[in-house]
Amino acid sequence: MSHPPELPLDALVQEHRVHRSLYTDEAIFADEMNRVFGGTWTFLAHESELPAPHSFVRRKLGLRPVIVSRDRDGALHVLLNRCTHRGATVCRQDEGTARRFTCPYHNWSFDSAGALVGVPIEEGYGPGFDKAALGLGKARVASYRGFIFATLNAEMPDLVTHLGPAAQLIDEWLDRWPGATLKLQRGTHRMICLGNWKLVYDNSADGYHPGFSHMSLLRMRKDRYGAGVDMQWTIGNVDHGLQTVADVGNGHTFIDQRAEIKRYWEQAAPMPGETRYEQAIRAKLGAKADAALDVVMGSGMNLNIFPNLLIIGNQIQVIEPQRVDLTHLTWYATALEAPDLPDEVNALRMRLQEDFPSFGEPDDLANFEECQAGLSIPEMEWVLTNRHLGTGKEYIGPKGMLTGPVTDDLPLRAFWREWKRLMTSTTRLAAA
Amino acid sequence: MTPLDPGMNIALDDGFTLKDILRDSLESTYVDDAYYARLRGDLDEWQAIGTPLTEAERQRYEALILHEHWLLDRRAFERWYQLYTRQCLYWVPAAGDMPDAVRGDPQRQVTIAFDDRRRMGDRIVWLRTGVASSQLPPSYTSHLSAGFVRIATAADGEVKIRSQFIVHEMRAGHVVQTLTGWMGHVLREEDGRLKIDRKLVALLDAARSQHNMTFLL
Repeated sequence: MSHPPELPLDALVQEHRVHRSLYTDEAIFADEMNRVFGGTWTFLAHESELPAPHSFVRRKLGLRPVIVSRDRDGALHVLLNRCTHRGATVCRQDEGTARRFTCPYHNWSFDSAGALVGVPIEEGYGPGFDKAALGLGKARVASYRGFIFATLNAEMPDLVTHLGPAAQLIDEWLDRWPGATLKLQRGTHRMICLGNWKLVYDNSADGYHPGFSHMSLLRMRKDRYGAGVDMQWTIGNVDHGLQTVADVGNGHTFIDQRAEIKRYWEQAAPMPGETRYEQAIRAKLGAKADAALDVVMGSGMNLNIFPNLLIIGNQIQVIEPQRVDLTHLTWYATALEAPDLPDEVNALRMRLQEDFPSFGEPDDLANFEECQAGLSIPEMEWVLTNRHLGTGKEYIGPKGMLTGPVTDDLPLRAFWREWKRLMTSTTRLAAA
Repeated sequence: MTPLDPGMNIALDDGFTLKDILRDSLESTYVDDAYYARLRGDLDEWQAIGTPLTEAERQRYEALILHEHWLLDRRAFERWYQLYTRQCLYWVPAAGDMPDAVRGDPQRQVTIAFDDRRRMGDRIVWLRTGVASSQLPPSYTSHLSAGFVRIATAADGEVKIRSQFIVHEMRAGHVVQTLTGWMGHVLREEDGRLKIDRKLVALLDAARSQHNMTFLL
């Protein structure tokens, strides 16, 4: 059994430090799965995963099983995957196309917009039975440029307002090749971490760790290929470099590495197929080839949308908490499709998107697991969030965002402010 | 060059070290549309009914594959690398246990591992850095393979061998992981020696979440 923390959240979440129980306490975990996930706009899926009317994917909103679907007219819905009759899930496949979700238990069936459309031996419920009131529970749904979010909070402002400067940063991430469309359904890397989900979010805007946690990758690269290739800008005193971190508002955070990348293609990590496909792209595109090769490489952006979406490199990472000390992290590979962009670009993007899951992320995940192990010690209570808190290095940067040197903990402080706001909110969440 | 066993026709250069790998295959020159087309063809061919190996085939093909696994289990990565051809592939799809030419098409899909000779070298150099937190402590594996069958192929000079495997992986302080599925080895002669040209590892649970896949299968 877990013990509730003895201290109130104001004492646990301080500006300069946070309490270890936020990562280890089962009661806090149960609470945040309900209040944080779904209490704000929470990422669920990308529209390219739902290519046609009646397409669906099965996801979780916190720990709540949900279905993201398109109805016959193509409109998006987030349906709570729970039969209104006895509570069984009505959708038991990860993805597909379905005009009806039929509960296998008593065959109640719901259409792709969630309406109850079939009840066996319906007359047994008597004359007052109202099917219209027994559709699947629904969450508010909205999408921004293909990114689908849901919330159970009726008081949330519209999605674009909530995203704030993050919307513009999503634009910058997407519009590296004008007119291109982002496509998922290109495979996933699904990783297990025996650690709390917030360790993953903490790391996503941590510009302090790469030179150390990714020593193996950096050393391998340097030993084989020399300096200049991929992420070598993370070595040394990076606060003297050109990277920055920013508070994007509402818990969203950002690392901008772009100023360190002079030539994207030349600084890319090695990838299988490089020689032949570069030749093919140059032969097809001539003067535009450099720009096409540049979109093979990641964007140089870590854009983290609170609480679970990490847009990093060319990948979309989704944090999927399972237990207080168990997290799944799914990296969705992405392709770019445009009439004037040859598919050779995507053949290279697939290979490059295998690089960090092979040589980078596993070391971070191992370190998160060791954090979880260390955080189990009751007598050592605090985790520091105070880097650059008092150094006077923060300033109002682009898009009006509070910005700091890349090792600044300001993203951590931004995260915890929003987390605490949601955990102490008195707004009652409800299904529509 | 000391043949391990004249009958097996396996040769390993005992002086071959990490330094040799550091200098080897620094370009990725052979993966292209035609190469991917061949891999899609492989996926089709692997589906066929196999023929249990003859005694002669066991001595030649099964012995090479068992030796490959033995070297991996001993963490003799440099010697393992020498078993592969100059245009080789070590491939672990991220799609189901019988990936078809659409879902398993590596030209369109990311994989758990798609290592041409250069990336295979990167992986060995990376494992040998000694500073990868995910490999501290290092993984030790035990391969157990059975059900070796020969699969017909349209490709001249290639031999396709399919087998079932269980790999146990142990890192000190961590639970033992069990991985299972089937493997496909495409063998061919290079420089008068039988070598592994392409190895496909189809995990039963490739599409599910995995914990720390930083070891070689």
